[in-house]
Amino acid sequence: MIEWLTTTDHKKIGIMYVVSTLSFFVIAGVLAALIRAQLAVPENTLLGPHAYNQIFTLHGTAMIFLVIAPFGIGLANYLVPLQIGAPDVAFPRLNATGLWLFVLGGITVFAGLATYGGAAATGWTAYAPLNESFLGTGAGQDLFFIGLLMTSISTILTSINLLVTVFLFRAPGMTMWRIPIFTWEIVATAMLIVMAFPSLAAAFAMALIERHLGGHFFDAAYGGNPILYQHLFWFFGHPEVYVLILPYFGIVTEIVATFSRKPVFGYVGMVLAAFAIAALSLGVWAHHMFTTGAVSNPFFSAVSFLIAVPTGVKFVNWIGTMWKGSIALRVPMLFAIGFLLNFLIGGITGVMIASPPIDYQAHDSYFIVQHFHYTIGGGSMFALFGALYFWFPKMFGVKLDERIGRWVFALLFLGFNATFIPMGFMGMEGMARRVYTYPAVGHLPLLNAIATAGALIMTVGVALFFIDILVSVRRREPVGNDPWGGYTLEWMTTSPPPEFNFTTLPPIRSRRPALDPPAGSA
Amino acid sequence: MRSFVALFAFAAAFGAVIAVVYWFVAHEEATGTALLAVMATALAFAAAYAVVAERDARLEGDDPNQTPQTAAGDDLGIFTTNSPFPVLIALCTLALFTGLLWSPLLAVAGLAGMLLCFWRLGAESART
Repeated sequence: MIEWLTTTDHKKIGIMYVVSTLSFFVIAGVLAALIRAQLAVPENTLLGPHAYNQIFTLHGTAMIFLVIAPFGIGLANYLVPLQIGAPDVAFPRLNATGLWLFVLGGITVFAGLATYGGAAATGWTAYAPLNESFLGTGAGQDLFFIGLLMTSISTILTSINLLVTVFLFRAPGMTMWRIPIFTWEIVATAMLIVMAFPSLAAAFAMALIERHLGGHFFDAAYGGNPILYQHLFWFFGHPEVYVLILPYFGIVTEIVATFSRKPVFGYVGMVLAAFAIAALSLGVWAHHMFTTGAVSNPFFSAVSFLIAVPTGVKFVNWIGTMWKGSIALRVPMLFAIGFLLNFLIGGITGVMIASPPIDYQAHDSYFIVQHFHYTIGGGSMFALFGALYFWFPKMFGVKLDERIGRWVFALLFLGFNATFIPMGFMGMEGMARRVYTYPAVGHLPLLNAIATAGALIMTVGVALFFIDILVSVRRREPVGNDPWGGYTLEWMTTSPPPEFNFTTLPPIRSRRPALDPPAGSA
Repeated sequence: MRSFVALFAFAAAFGAVIAVVYWFVAHEEATGTALLAVMATALAFAAAYAVVAERDARLEGDDPNQTPQTAAGDDLGIFTTNSPFPVLIALCTLALFTGLLWSPLLAVAGLAGMLLCFWRLGAESART
């Protein structure tokens, strides 16, 4: 116990990130199930409005700040030093500090549930002046700000650490143009975090000063400007969307190339596309604010459309990698294909709402809920499961059961689409998001019933995943160093890797060092 | 190191260009322009620092022909495996933040604990 509490080994820290994000994932999943139970029928009284507000706030906050983003960071913690041939990250103690700030920050957010008045109930955006209204006066809202301030600091520290590690700690011969795509995506993500997260920390610090120390940054009555909060929040918030997806692009790339038995198609294009997405994402923040009427809609609309171009490049590269490959439909590959199909829907609906006339209609409706769940849920979450199946043998020396894994994929894919396809139609029928109930009009009762059934199927799928872990760990069939025929450096060390990662560092002569012929051979 | 400078310099240039474009297109909207300009300045500072402070850096990882054998003996420093201070610093941070809102005593304790941790961390770093 003390060993794990005080460890600075990047692999143990990576595993603790994965375990804590999965714990938050289970809690956020339970909250999602409660939301769907409430909305299963019209005019339902299972939850009251205040309880519902807290539940959807905590669900969104946990999924974004405590699950999807930190899972990518945690996986990077585990993999990046292995992929570049480093013994550890550049600053191991800083790395451990980041982990504990994240864990304590997450617990602090949920601690709001134990306060009088309950947890934060203003949505994951916690807009001003809503966060000072009757919904945001309790200690739960303060704990929300403090917790997320801590996770923001954690994320910034970890990103600086990962950047320094990649730039300075690559093994001999591991040039920047030989590092795996996953590591490149982490470099792009870390740069985004360093640029965007200070804005969030500033917004939350200002909100706390306003709430407790008499500041008036966002209070129009005292010359403040509530739109300032939205600018600060979304200057972080939209890059955050790419913080939530770029690491998962990297995961999918590694899985697709491994199971297609081909090199990554368009390696350089893939890297440039990641940086183009990262750069453009810093210029689109106010497309979340079209309907305020206080921002330049043409500017933000144009830049938002542009992001589709490098994202399209990535799709071409993934398909090009699979093209004429010897595709093995193993569980990680199934999740990668699921990611491609779901994310495509999320991307296309994103292009639709990048157009202000459409966004004015869709804003705050279930159409938006469908859109971002297809990117973050159908995209990142499927890649998350793909990553767990793919790297579990490396982390623990045990392969997860393939047969159960196929069922997990089938249930999640079916359940996810059953849940979220109807939401697009709900939005088009005018159903508003963040409202605890709805009238029995049009197709809304049927569509909501289907969505709730889909959520139930997903719940079974997630439960089966944990059963898969239990079954596989109990069975404990040993795996070799490289059970999948992977090509990156981490597959050249033992499973799990030793302290400081490699007993003997192999020579690195290409982008696929594990497939290089041994030194001295013709 | 060249890759680091190139990435940060390019990102800084992109930030500067988009800040100027945004200023004119968004009818001189100050908040967004300031955010973009600060971002560009911070990136330019990081790139300039790397150019000045690390201009003599020769990294084994930048040479495609280097092998572990040819690079053997290079000092990578010492990687610590355990330290009690990270978890303590995180706890002190939580005490400081919550104390600032509700209990000055807790805030002082958090700050004092943090300073103590940093002091001992410095000593630990010097030892290892």
